[in-house]
Amino acid sequence: MARTKAEKIFPYNYTTTKLDNGLTVILVPMDSPGLTSYYSVVRTGSRDEWEPGKSGFAHFFEHMMFRGTDKYPGPVYDGIITSLGADANAYTSDDLTVYHLNFASDDLEKVIELESDRFQNLKYDVREFQTESGAVYGEYRKGKTSPWEVAFEKLQDMAFDKHTYKHTTIGFEQDIKDMPNMYDYSISFFKRYYRPENVVVLVVGDFKKDNALKLIKKYYSSWKPGYVNPEITPEPPQTAERSTVVNYPGKTLPLLIVSYKGDAFDVKNKNILSSVLVGDLAFGETSDIYKKLVLKEQKVQFIQADFGFSRDPKLLYIYSMVKDPKDVEYVKEEIYKTLADFQNTLVEKQKLSNLKKKERYSFLMHLDTPDNVAGFLPQFITLTGGIDVVDELYSGLDKITPEDIRQAARFYFMPEKRNVVLVRGEN
Amino acid sequence: MTRYFLFYILILFSVTSMAKTKNGNPMKESLVLLPVKNDPTVSLKIWFKAGSQNDPRGKEGLAYITARLISEGATKKNSYEQILEKLFPLAAGYSASASAEMTVYSGRVHKDNLEVYYPLFLDGILHPSFSQEDFSRIKDETINYLTTTLKYSSDEELGKAVLYQYIFQDTPYGHIEQGTISGVKSITLEDVRNFYNQYYNRNNFVIGLAGGYSKKFADRLQKDLLRLPEGTPGTAPAINYEPIKGVNVTMVNKDAPATAISFGFPIDLIRGEKDWYALAIANSWLGEHRNSSSHLYQVIREARGLNYGDYSYIENFPNGGQRQMPPVNEARRRQIFEVWIRPVPNETRHFVLRAAMRELKNFIDKGLTPEEFELTRKFLRNYVLHYAPETEMRLGYALDDRFYGIQGSHLETFRKMMDQLTVEDVNQAIRKYLNYDNMKVAIITKDAEGFKEALENNTTSPITYSTPKADKVYEEDKEIQDYKLNIPNGNIKITNLEELFR
Repeated sequence: MARTKAEKIFPYNYTTTKLDNGLTVILVPMDSPGLTSYYSVVRTGSRDEWEPGKSGFAHFFEHMMFRGTDKYPGPVYDGIITSLGADANAYTSDDLTVYHLNFASDDLEKVIELESDRFQNLKYDVREFQTESGAVYGEYRKGKTSPWEVAFEKLQDMAFDKHTYKHTTIGFEQDIKDMPNMYDYSISFFKRYYRPENVVVLVVGDFKKDNALKLIKKYYSSWKPGYVNPEITPEPPQTAERSTVVNYPGKTLPLLIVSYKGDAFDVKNKNILSSVLVGDLAFGETSDIYKKLVLKEQKVQFIQADFGFSRDPKLLYIYSMVKDPKDVEYVKEEIYKTLADFQNTLVEKQKLSNLKKKERYSFLMHLDTPDNVAGFLPQFITLTGGIDVVDELYSGLDKITPEDIRQAARFYFMPEKRNVVLVRGEN
Repeated sequence: MTRYFLFYILILFSVTSMAKTKNGNPMKESLVLLPVKNDPTVSLKIWFKAGSQNDPRGKEGLAYITARLISEGATKKNSYEQILEKLFPLAAGYSASASAEMTVYSGRVHKDNLEVYYPLFLDGILHPSFSQEDFSRIKDETINYLTTTLKYSSDEELGKAVLYQYIFQDTPYGHIEQGTISGVKSITLEDVRNFYNQYYNRNNFVIGLAGGYSKKFADRLQKDLLRLPEGTPGTAPAINYEPIKGVNVTMVNKDAPATAISFGFPIDLIRGEKDWYALAIANSWLGEHRNSSSHLYQVIREARGLNYGDYSYIENFPNGGQRQMPPVNEARRRQIFEVWIRPVPNETRHFVLRAAMRELKNFIDKGLTPEEFELTRKFLRNYVLHYAPETEMRLGYALDDRFYGIQGSHLETFRKMMDQLTVEDVNQAIRKYLNYDNMKVAIITKDAEGFKEALENNTTSPITYSTPKADKVYEEDKEIQDYKLNIPNGNIKITNLEELFR
């Protein structure tokens, strides 16, 4: 599967244009008769909530964006989206907030008009703002029944002292409760972050590039720049292992999360690219530990790793659901042993090349509809501001050697970078 | 708009062909084909006519365990480990799902890898080895799901599961597909082998094939599947339930900060019939899934901020919290009308139940206005396009069409009907199929006794908000707080969490 540097894995031709006000527009036409996806990617997530007492705001703000403008008040906006039969939604994570619509291509201009309007002219009154805070608290309550939510809330709080990754995207509960009092802050949040320099418009599907760009310029050019950088305190290096036990108010098998401090995404950093591969090699369905703990000994219900990318240094997670509380220590030791193996032994070349092949095909198989293509790209947009990095990433992954893998394992999996959470149920 | 129609017509057709078995008996074999020339992938779905409705009494969960063992276990040729190793570089796998009536064995692979993949896919279905090791693993996982995950980690899914069991109790639909704790515990490998022999046979499947496959491959697949053992077509047991009289409530006592509520009743209507599409418009207006256009959402979440969302359904929609669009291959001969209220603070539970019931009554009594009808049908005409943009999903729909006996395609019919139906059709369907007097309600809540008492006594349930609301909200709240729910004494029962799914 070796590819030359010139080879592009991303199969669609696209254009990236920067408007005078700083708004980036990425257009990806593809064969999808009559259907188009429109994504507005705001490069702000819960990471940007640096002021004390304001956690959860990026997500709360995502809700407020559906409250309308003078021209298109909330119910009118909803009515138009409904009449278009568009599939419209939004989501927020640590690093970004994404507003997305799938719709019939004939409606492209209407969608551009509506989206450009609410990003520039959002307006809501105190009452609407306060009512929405109730829905957000409802979302928190709904999530909190899951032991995983409990686990991640605790883990991030423990692992970070200074950086805003200390809170999860939904925010600290006390901050969510206080949201009704934050109307003025919400206006300042909008003015600082919802600016063209911090937003990327991504259009994928059945449309004409020239026409789309003309329309986007028409509707977005009046948007004034004014982005203000968040004052995020970098996390100081962790110097000793941290661990805690959480009691979950309900029944669950024990959940064990072992995590290590990672790095900020940089496509040129071989350690980062290698870590993604290590996750699958060490804990994926063909890994030795999976065969041992899941298939043979059946000590755990599952084990998997999530070594993803983040804008600032975050965590590389390994999580497992252990069947018998007595086996928790054993499973933990097996995880440590697995990581030590990767530090000491070179991974087989064949295994590594199988993984690269898998990565490539799962990428290609996923790009079958405008929404799937568009849905894959926001993480790269938030990390780098564009999507050129996709080709760079896959060509970088292709060059990773067994030595690189070993080096990354030695760099990340150190006891002093470790954070461990165990969730116990009331069984 | 004509472009979409063209698109669907071009790629969405199915063929029924006749093949001959080795011994010369003509065998009617169904084949659903969806060639998509430019699709770089191939999707396969083999539908066996069996599901949790075919679980023997006392062995609830057998169809589910069998399906999982086929797709997550060893074959006679390869251990499960070896299968995973071989599938790994292909970025492909195969899976099997057993819903109430359908078991579907599916896979999807890039064309480049079809030749390596296909023998593995075929081996999974033709030669499962049913090893003790795989069996223990899957059984354990299922028991854990029934005893802990479903009961503790998502009250809204729990509420919906309880409602289905409550409505269909004592029928073959009366347990969730994962079964019951005692049922799963009692299942043996022998049971699994018998179930496989009975239902995974050459006279009990429909082949679905879609994407960029060749004609030669389609022929090969058909021929290869004839290697399944001889057998008889699966039979679908009758689903006879007692008509519901009055409003009946089952509450599950659980120490939780929020209350999950679901309610509904059976409707004698399935997709394909004209009335179904009329009722789909009505239902979309009342409670389109995860859409702010839902009227219930507007009343409970948007105006009052009491929870995260409120929706209604006329077809089974499992895992609603995890998906935006309706699932495929969950087809059933019997469906229910269902309202799903996502968790609300305990102190508002009585008020919210009243608000939702009152909206249902207003909706049934008044029907849709011509404006509401126009907006909703316009919405659905395009929204349906998002149900199945992927080839694999369209294949799922095509198999469901076969299940429901729909000539042509449900999705095409859906769009066409949006132009043909009138507001009278819709309002007539509401009156014909929906009611607010006879239904079942499932509630997961803390202090169930207290709620029971409040419901029985029709205790007033005024609501206070921590934040100000619009004046018309306060006015309406005065009506809601004393809205009579008419739950006869004796119709409310309380269950303990631990008693569920036993």
